[in-house]
Amino acid sequence: MESQWLSLLDVTIDFDQSHLFFPRIVTWILVVLLAIILITRYRRLVPGLKHAGRVLAGREGDFDHRRFFGTLALTTAYFYLMGVLSDVFPNTGYSFLIMSVLFVFLLSLLYVDRPTRRLWVILVLNALIAPTLAWYVLAQLFRITLP
Amino acid sequence: MDILSHLTPMFFALIAAGTAIGIIFGAIPGMTATMAVAVCLPLTYAFGLENGIALLLGLYVGGISGGMVPAVLINIPGTPSSITTTFDGYPMAKRGEGERALKIGIVASVFGGLFSAAVLFFFAPLLADFAIKFSYVEKFLIILLALTVIASLCSNMLMGVFSGVLGVWLSLIGTYSITEGGNGEPRLMFDFMQYYLIDGFSLLPVLIGIFGLTTVLLDAEKGFRDETGQGPISLKNGAKFRFGVFKGQLTNLIRSSSIGTFVGILPGVGGSAASVLAYSQEKNFSRDSSQMGKGAPQGIVSSESSNNALTGGALVPLLSLGIPGDSTTAILIGAFTLQGIQVGPLFIGNNLDTWYLMIIALLAANVLMFGIMYFAIRHIARVIEVPKYILYPLIIMMCVVGAYAINYGIMFDVWTLLIFGVFGWVAHKIGLETVPLIIGFILGKSAEVYFVKSLESYGNYSIFFTKSPIAVCLWVLIAVSLAFAIYLRVRSRRQAAVES
Repeated sequence: MESQWLSLLDVTIDFDQSHLFFPRIVTWILVVLLAIILITRYRRLVPGLKHAGRVLAGREGDFDHRRFFGTLALTTAYFYLMGVLSDVFPNTGYSFLIMSVLFVFLLSLLYVDRPTRRLWVILVLNALIAPTLAWYVLAQLFRITLP
Repeated sequence: MDILSHLTPMFFALIAAGTAIGIIFGAIPGMTATMAVAVCLPLTYAFGLENGIALLLGLYVGGISGGMVPAVLINIPGTPSSITTTFDGYPMAKRGEGERALKIGIVASVFGGLFSAAVLFFFAPLLADFAIKFSYVEKFLIILLALTVIASLCSNMLMGVFSGVLGVWLSLIGTYSITEGGNGEPRLMFDFMQYYLIDGFSLLPVLIGIFGLTTVLLDAEKGFRDETGQGPISLKNGAKFRFGVFKGQLTNLIRSSSIGTFVGILPGVGGSAASVLAYSQEKNFSRDSSQMGKGAPQGIVSSESSNNALTGGALVPLLSLGIPGDSTTAILIGAFTLQGIQVGPLFIGNNLDTWYLMIIALLAANVLMFGIMYFAIRHIARVIEVPKYILYPLIIMMCVVGAYAINYGIMFDVWTLLIFGVFGWVAHKIGLETVPLIIGFILGKSAEVYFVKSLESYGNYSIFFTKSPIAVCLWVLIAVSLAFAIYLRVRSRRQAAVES
């Protein structure tokens, strides 16, 4: 009787399909948990989505669109152009250096409220010195691979 | 003694440098020890095993300790674990005792750190010796227990469980590794992704994205407003610090350090839980707690000794079981792997020299943290004035280095950093829990191997319940952790109902 009951829990894993065995179980658990979350929170879900939409559209809340989307756009451009430039200067780290100088300066400028002449000088110096120092220490002294 | 040959001036200089950088990161609100380790990872690529460990452990200890500076001076915890330091530190600073409050915190921190290093030294080998006997079944159950404990202690248990499972799911993207006994077939991705994701997402770019870029995006969204509304308080006036303030505090120190160490051993619970627990215990058990919350040194002692005791505690499951105790040790596990260290039950026995070096590095980091912070606290306090428009672009730049260099120059790892930076921001917005997610991500692949191999060997699901008395004990612990979490929730709801 006991062995009959235990045989219900028998499992055979086909080696050719073994890569899907555990992911299928995890996916099902994930789907069930997601369903529970949606069922238990559906009343808050729609108003929450509407609120998020209004915040992202700038009609509500304290969301700094310029700085948030500016950070995303600059970071994406930084990564993309670094990849493009690394084909021009392969294995030198120059792509990292050039793009980092531009990125650090532009992102700092994005985050500053009221740029004064003194602040401009600080931002330019920071954008020139910090990436150059990082490039020199990491790529030249430590021989770490840079784009 | 071969170990003595590794104790070079460079070894100690790197511990000091790591500790100092960690303190600076910890002292800047919003930046944590985890971020310090993530951002400084590229520096360790150039070093050997011993020096890499020295830098990493220095960063870890320094990062946790530095959090007290803004907690005392501007009432904002530099790291989540310093939350209770604000309760008494800030009132002391307001009445002109800022330097005294910080020095009390520094002494308590070094006590907690050394206490937990001692526990690590004596307890981790015992746990590792015990864990060596584990088969795949028990190893899988240990991972299940870790994820259950983490999820059950989240603010929302359901979201905690979901986040942990999502982390496991993300870790399974890629091929089922042949070296782990798999069939080398890809899964959970479209064909066009196979070129990039054949080995799945690399661990460290994922972690750097979630802990580095996400933090920048969250602050960018707020527009970098000054949250304090006032400048930092001056340290120069008020009562002087004397060691006599610790008279009668030994019980508090030992109790809080024990709590911190124990909480650190529990996977993923986090420093804020340790300090809150230690603070509330001091409030409950001390002879006179009437001044706590109004600027009592005992509050700072309990908070800071407990959060620094986390450091050694969190390394116990990492080094003996291969399970990270908190988010910082989650990054350490990746950094150690890069250095060729496979943490787990066999680590200590097979790498005795490395193990002793780690203990020495941890002790030295605590002592150096004390030296740096105690004598240079006035200069360190100025760190909180460094503007984020200078820091954050540099942090993203260093994140790029860390992600790109991890696999010796793969641009997709940099995109992974961006993907998971944005994912971390979205996760924060929809209430996903980051810590279970990353612990699930780290342990997911191992869980798969242990689960599938157990079933391939025994051919029946019941083996997970019947394999050994240890397996039964682990199921009991899983049930207890779930029951305890449910009990805490029911109790807090009842309390809320009574109060309303």
